[in-house]
Amino acid sequence: MEGIFIKILGAFLTAILAFVVGMLYGGLRRKVIARAQNRVGPPIHQNFLDLMKLQAKRTNIAHGFMGHMAPVWIIIAAMTVLMFIPILHGNLWFENLTMKGDLIFLLYMMVFGSLGMALGAGQSGNPNSAMGVSRGLAQLVGFEIPFFLALIALMIQFNTTSIAVLMDHQEATGRWIIVDNPFAFIAALLASLGMFRYAPFDIVGAPAELASGPRSEFGGKYLGTMMTGGAVFAFIKLVMYVDLFLGGAGNNNLEGLAGTALGLVELLVKTFLLYMIPVFIGLVTPRFRTEQAIQFFWKWPTFFGILAIVWALYKNGTIG
Amino acid sequence: MEIIAIILLILLVGSFLTYFVDSFNKKWTGTTAFLIVLITAGIFFTKIKSGYQFNFQLAGLDLQWGLTDYSYYFVYIILGLSVLALLYSIKYMEGKARLGYFYGSFILTVLGMLGVVISQDFVSLFFFWEIMTWASFLLVIYNAYYKIKTKGIKYMIFSAVGAYAMFTAIVFIHVHYDTLLISEAIAKGAFNFEQYIYIPIFLLLGFGIKAAVMPFHVWAPPAYAKSPMSFTTIFSGAMSKMGVFGIGLVFTSFYLSSNPENFFWVRTILGWMGGITAVMGTIYALIQTDAKKLLAYSSVAQLGYIIVGLSTGTQLGVMAALYLAVIHAVFKGALFMVAGAVEKQAGTTDMTQISGLIRKMPYTFVVALVSIIALAGVPPLGGFVGKWLLYEALITESNNYILVVVVFFSSTAAFMYSYRFLFGLFLGQEEKETEHVKEAPATMIIPMIILAIIATVAGAYPGLIFEPAAKAMQAIGFQDVTWQMSSLTNVWGDTTDLFLIAMLIFAVFIISFVFLTLKGLKKTRYVGTKDISTSGELPKEWENLTFQLDFFKPFERAAAPLYKMDMNKIWKDLGKNLEAFFGFFRKIYTGNGQTYALYIVIFLVVLLLFRDVLFS
Repeated sequence: MEGIFIKILGAFLTAILAFVVGMLYGGLRRKVIARAQNRVGPPIHQNFLDLMKLQAKRTNIAHGFMGHMAPVWIIIAAMTVLMFIPILHGNLWFENLTMKGDLIFLLYMMVFGSLGMALGAGQSGNPNSAMGVSRGLAQLVGFEIPFFLALIALMIQFNTTSIAVLMDHQEATGRWIIVDNPFAFIAALLASLGMFRYAPFDIVGAPAELASGPRSEFGGKYLGTMMTGGAVFAFIKLVMYVDLFLGGAGNNNLEGLAGTALGLVELLVKTFLLYMIPVFIGLVTPRFRTEQAIQFFWKWPTFFGILAIVWALYKNGTIG
Repeated sequence: MEIIAIILLILLVGSFLTYFVDSFNKKWTGTTAFLIVLITAGIFFTKIKSGYQFNFQLAGLDLQWGLTDYSYYFVYIILGLSVLALLYSIKYMEGKARLGYFYGSFILTVLGMLGVVISQDFVSLFFFWEIMTWASFLLVIYNAYYKIKTKGIKYMIFSAVGAYAMFTAIVFIHVHYDTLLISEAIAKGAFNFEQYIYIPIFLLLGFGIKAAVMPFHVWAPPAYAKSPMSFTTIFSGAMSKMGVFGIGLVFTSFYLSSNPENFFWVRTILGWMGGITAVMGTIYALIQTDAKKLLAYSSVAQLGYIIVGLSTGTQLGVMAALYLAVIHAVFKGALFMVAGAVEKQAGTTDMTQISGLIRKMPYTFVVALVSIIALAGVPPLGGFVGKWLLYEALITESNNYILVVVVFFSSTAAFMYSYRFLFGLFLGQEEKETEHVKEAPATMIIPMIILAIIATVAGAYPGLIFEPAAKAMQAIGFQDVTWQMSSLTNVWGDTTDLFLIAMLIFAVFIISFVFLTLKGLKKTRYVGTKDISTSGELPKEWENLTFQLDFFKPFERAAAPLYKMDMNKIWKDLGKNLEAFFGFFRKIYTGNGQTYALYIVIFLVVLLLFRDVLFS
């Protein structure tokens, strides 16, 4: 009975952590961009204020059933993926369901929310939304290829498809996978630029071009929910990359609360550093056209992905 | 009389009976056909168990009909889908011409397919294969009764080539191994690529054409799209699986009897044929503007996955192929029914003509949504299981790392046409032209909903399909096939607990639905699709905001090199070259009596000159 209690409480803790960190990172990004453009910028907690405002609004009109369902799909996707990603290594509170689903499941589950939202955006009838979806799906085909190549490289190098086992391996050897297979990290990192959808890959929302694309017909609570989902997803992607390539967090010998706290700090530092890469790249680049974005992913990132597989096979002893 | 003969007789008589019922009363034709196949299915599933066998002699040939677990697995697909398709067909075909012709051929096709899987000797296999092909050809040209020459010709030519190839292989098997029984041929190693390589190649050609494998797929998209949708349901869902049935039989028996190292090339070539089929089918599906064409190309792509699964020859891979065979029949059957319902109610499936049907056809939309999620392979529905098995088989067991990326590319690009299908027909702007559209009748909705429920349940309990699939695999020679009711495990021991995932998704769904959507539904009112924010301007009633043409133009531009490869053109060029080649031979027949007399003289001279050589 106690186990179930810890599980449920742990799930809540995970959700709250993901929400707070994700939202704060979003605020931080706005601040960083503002400072780089020599503005003062909003406070870091601005995203919380925005969310509160949105949740307080009342919506009078709707664009049909799929429009109502769109935020639900996003919550489902965010919560499900969150439950299957190990937050801290071997920590009782954040264990959730980490051993119950593998990387291929996560790969497919992560698109669930976007597809659901695309349906909601489609029913609104706004041509900008449909255009955004068309671009988003095309871009998805672009960046999923190098990402999948990187994942396959990890799978065959370490003979597992489970993210938790990869973390165990990194803890046991004391070596991060970024060292074991640097090419996989490069491919995945380049793919993550598309995943985060910051410039030059912000073709889906495309401010001043598509009028925020798929989101344009959503407001109030629904927009707030989508914002929350987006924040949680940002956290999920970062934690996933840290788990896969940067050794995960929480590999300390401290017991109890101190260990958890230290692990969380470690996690925050790693994710923050990782998060700044797409943010800084986004700062200094203009926007790609859709076909350019897709072709970008099919060139160098895919090359590094294939290199990662070759490297994995070499390390594995299959070739060479 | 043997029960299997009675069943085939019921179908045969039923086919003619339906034809005559049509001449008396057109109202009852569809119902008669439905009842005949329903009764057949009832008798089959109650009376015939796996392991049944019936031997008899005909014209001096030993013929054998029977059912192994493997063929029984395909009977589920054939009869299950046929019953649903015929129930759907009653209302779908209502008011159309030549119903007797349609239903008669339909039942004959079912007879042919059933015959193919119960045949345990090559003679009856070929016989039923031809019945199936010809009956289905009649249905392909149903909508083009007066334009046979242009519409059905591709299907006929490819089917004929496939049949000849298969016949050649059968003759060679008889010559080299002196048997016509499939089980004996397998025992003697007739499907072995190392001995007489042309036998398995000819057989794979025959089956591969039916499964629409690249590069023999060109007949499939037009044939699927042109046939009446209620028939395409089993055309794509069940009949293409006959090719899978054959390839599985030939390839697996070869794989299991031979040293896996020896057949690296066979495995690789077959796998890549499947992979390329998947990619090309997908990228052509996503540029279609006709929903039927889109689904047709998608069928080609999905069959590609199944071929990839079979090509691995490993336990997980063949399991993936067999699972995908069923789940593809389920969701693609439902989707073709959806397309048919839209065609019936709105008059067309051209996505540039209609859009925004979701509020007019809500049940059809829900079925389409569920089936599309299953097709795209997104958890928690049944399609994901197949994708998972396929990837894990390629990564962990057959070590085909580049092929898995090709398959993954195709399945990611499948999101695009999945969305295109839903958006094109059901979402988007509501047009004046579609205001009259109503929901399809109940007998069309019910079979669709049954299929959608199967696709949903298979997501949480794939074991329901694994169980017969595992038996089927044991029947073709695999040993100790392991499976679990609701979780997936690969050889490295990584698991995915589907029941848990489904429950979690369901729980989150209920919570967020109650607290978010229900509130939203109550407190908001629906405004039309013209009441949108287009940068602060309110669009006028006459403004056209439909976005349907060139939906994925950016992707087309990015993937332009892929679109340059057109198999149709290659076959057409081949046809032209052959025509020129045969045209040269035709010149021998000048039509002039004197030339023919000259030929006779030359012939006699040759005979005389070489008489020592020829008659010594």
